[in-house]
Order: sequence, then C-alpha cells, then structure tokens
Amino acid sequence: MSLQTNGAVKKVPEKARTPKKPQGRLPGVASGAYPLVGHGIEFATNCLPLLWRAYEEHGELATLKVFNKNIVLFTGPEAQEAMYRQPDEILSPNEAYEIMVPVFGKDVVYDAPPERMNEQMAMLRPALQDKRMRTYGEIVALETRRALSEWGAEGEIDLVEFCAALTNYTSTHCLIGREFRERMSDEFSKVYYDLERGITPASYIHANLPLPSMIRRDRARERLMGMIGEIVDERTKSGTQGEDFLQTLMDARYKDGSALSRHEITGMLLAAMFAGHHTSSVTVAWALIELVKHPDYLDRVLAELDSVYPEGTDVTFQSLRQIPLTEYAVKEALRLHSPLWILMRAVVSTFEYGGYTFEPGTWIANSPWVSHRLPGVFTNPMAFDPDRFGPGREEDKKQFTFVSFGGGRHKCLGNAFALLQVKTIFAILLRGFSFELLHNPIIPESGLVMGPKKPFRVRYKRLRPNGAF
Amino acid sequence: MKIVIDWDLCQGHANCTGDAPEVFFVDDDGKLHVKIPEPEESMRDMVELAASYCPTNAITIEG
Repeated sequence: MSLQTNGAVKKVPEKARTPKKPQGRLPGVASGAYPLVGHGIEFATNCLPLLWRAYEEHGELATLKVFNKNIVLFTGPEAQEAMYRQPDEILSPNEAYEIMVPVFGKDVVYDAPPERMNEQMAMLRPALQDKRMRTYGEIVALETRRALSEWGAEGEIDLVEFCAALTNYTSTHCLIGREFRERMSDEFSKVYYDLERGITPASYIHANLPLPSMIRRDRARERLMGMIGEIVDERTKSGTQGEDFLQTLMDARYKDGSALSRHEITGMLLAAMFAGHHTSSVTVAWALIELVKHPDYLDRVLAELDSVYPEGTDVTFQSLRQIPLTEYAVKEALRLHSPLWILMRAVVSTFEYGGYTFEPGTWIANSPWVSHRLPGVFTNPMAFDPDRFGPGREEDKKQFTFVSFGGGRHKCLGNAFALLQVKTIFAILLRGFSFELLHNPIIPESGLVMGPKKPFRVRYKRLRPNGAF
Repeated sequence: MKIVIDWDLCQGHANCTGDAPEVFFVDDDGKLHVKIPEPEESMRDMVELAASYCPTNAITIEG
C-alpha cells in the first residue's frame, strides 16, 4: 500500500458539485466491494488499507459498503468541518455507539432519550472540568511512581501490558476513587477484561448474540455493579465523602429530584473508563516507541524535563504547561497513531454536502488515520516531527485538522485529561528510566482502539533511584 | 481586544474559568458566560492563556 503518493487534498470533481443529482445518489464507491458483504470483511479485519484506498480513489467523499450499510467517508478539513459541526438532529452519534449499550447499560448515556442523555452528560461534566482536573495530576503522578517503584536496576517489560495496567490504576483512582483503587484485585482486572472483550466486530452485526464472549461480558457487568454498589453502601452508611467522580454521581440529581440508580452509576463510570482507559494506554505506548526511535528529539525532551523538574520536584498542573516539547511529542504520537481510527455519525435527517444529498440510514465517517496523513494539511505527513506543533508552524491550529479527539459538540470530553495524564506519566517515566525497543517492525493491532500488537517487549535501565524522579 | 466564542464547539469544560476567572464563567448547566466580552489590554495574558488551553479551541481573540 502506498501512503505517500498523494498531492494536496483531493476535491470533489466539478461535475459532482452540480446540484441536479437524483436524491440518494452516493459518492464514488471504493474498489474491492463484493456482492452482499460489500467491503464488510476487509472493514472488520484490515480496515486501514481500505480507508486509504477509498480516499486515493475518490478524494474528499468516498463510499464504503459494509454489509447492508452505506458509510460515506469525509476527508479533508472542509469535509471534516461539515461533518463535525452538524447538530444531533442531522448527524447523530447515538446509533454509532449502540454497540456499547450492553456495557454502559440500557437507558444510560447514548441509549437514553435525548433529554435524559443531556442530563446525564451534565452530571459527567464536573468530573472533567477545571476544578477537579487540577487535582488529577497528583493522582496520576502518585500511581506512576507506585508502579515504577517495583522496577529494578534493569529489566524487561511488555510495554502494552504495563501501559494498560498503569492507566487502569490512574483512571480507577481518579474516577471511582481511592477506596476502590486500594481494593483493586485481580478480580477487577478480569472483570474489566471480560467487558472489553465483549465488544467485538460481531457487535456491529448485533450487540446481543449467544456468544461466550458476550455472556461473559454480561456477567462481568453484573459483578462490577456489585463491586461499585459495595462502596456506595459503605459511603452512605458511614457518611464519608470521596473526592472523586463516583461521589459526584452519588450526589447528582435529575431535574425531577431523583438520584441515579446503581445501574446508571455503574454505566456512567464505565462510559468514562471505556472512553479514557484504553485510548490513553496506547497513547503512552506509541509516544514512548516514537521517542525511543527518535533519540535526537528525545534528548530535547529530557533536557526540558530536567530543567522543569530538578530532582524530586512534584509534577503540578502549572508545571505540566511548561513542557511544550513533551506535549508536542504526545500530540505527534496521537497524529500518527490515532487510537480511534474511525469516527461515525448516523444521518437522521437529510443533509447536503459537496453536491450530494445524504438520506437517513446512511452513515457518515471520518478517519483520523487518513486525515492525519494528508500532505496538503501536514508537512511531510509520514514523518515523526513534533516540531510541526511548535511556534511558527502550528499545523494543528486550523480547526478540524487534528481530529484524534473528534470535533464539534461531541469532541472527546476527556481531551484535556488525556493530555494531562500522558504528560504526567512521561515527566516521571523518562526521568527515571531509559528504554530500548526489542521489537521491530512494530505492528498496529486493529480493534476498536489501535495499539501496538502484543507482545511488545522493551528493556529498561534505571537512571535514578526511587524518590529522585 | 474582543473575545469571540465558537458556540458549536464550547462544551463547558470551564478551563478558561481557571485561567481567567474575571472574564469567563460556566454555570451549573455547563453554559459559558463571557462576563467581559471586550477586556482591557492588561488582561491579555490571561485571556490568551485561556484561549490556548481551551480543549475545544472555542475561544478566539480579535484585535
């Protein structure tokens, strides 16, 4: 597959812009569609080459046929803006998130009626707002130091597993709270793993099938609701208040005065965990891999960290803003290896763009993976070049070009938290240890979230004793 | 200096209220209120800080 052959963003040919198209006619269909299944099999098993081919063949607007569904890919800043700016009444994310209903729960967030969903989203918001955000950095730093305290002078780890475990601790501690975190056992990891594995490409066909993975998923959710319920009971009985998101949800009230049920509390915590855990985990892994592969840039990051954090200095909300080179590296890893490689919306009322009329039932999608490789938008897009985000270049400055977090009113609510978390981890990790990659080539594993394929061994060497980084 | 908000983008993260509390306020429903739409020049630094750290890039400064 050639990824570097393209010129500037391809526009819809003039002919296609004339408005007299018969209603419902779709943009060009990508090659390689089979009868009945269309691109279904390639979409489920090896999607990235398909997405790139669709763009190369048809440019800004291209159609994929996935079983009986038409998915129109919107690519390039103009098309992306048109997609992300639409209100829910025209393009809705709800249908696209239907596969998550068995995990989040019936009537929770995307499955709730719009009014109810808005009320629930308003309850989620405080967890990620400024006030609470300023306390999360400390928790992430604490968890990172704790995880690293077990490392010796040198050794080997599986990077993907390490990142997943670390971000599991950070997100549970920040969201569900300290008591839960302290009690986290192997059982929690297993339950969470079963939940994650319960969402598969088969979920796109139907969310509830008599598959072992789906049966385990449903059992896992029941158990997790029990575990969270225990904490809720204890807090209610003893009158203690947590400084966490669980407490926010326990205290939240609907406009009619009613409190959230345990089913709803569990679902909303899971929504936040699912959105933030795996995505942050693979971002740490990708960014570390890229930094180790680019020692010149890594040296500049290390010099920056050494000057902002002389031995033993705490990582604070303010200091995390003084490490731009570290931030650019994280963003560059997100650009090249966007954990979410496709974002979808369902057309719910007719909408026009580029001379086409899109009818309800059609899906509109944007692939950050493709969009981040457009040469007209990013200079030398295949290169790892964090300086592209720096002063004078600011290639992400134009809205709707850097879309790892999506865009518009449904842009990831955890955007700021994610950057804060990953920067905190690096501020500590890179001062404490140096790394060597033991795997080459690095293969991306396609799933709902795209991370490096396991196993991915790295060798570490300690630079400073515990307490000195 | 004039503050322009892209209302399609603002999600009520309230980061701006931490950086420039005199200028921005987010109510309990997550709705942003710009208390001073045309702040004094002396406030430029903090307004620029708020704009640059807005997670949705919803704040632009004109002039």
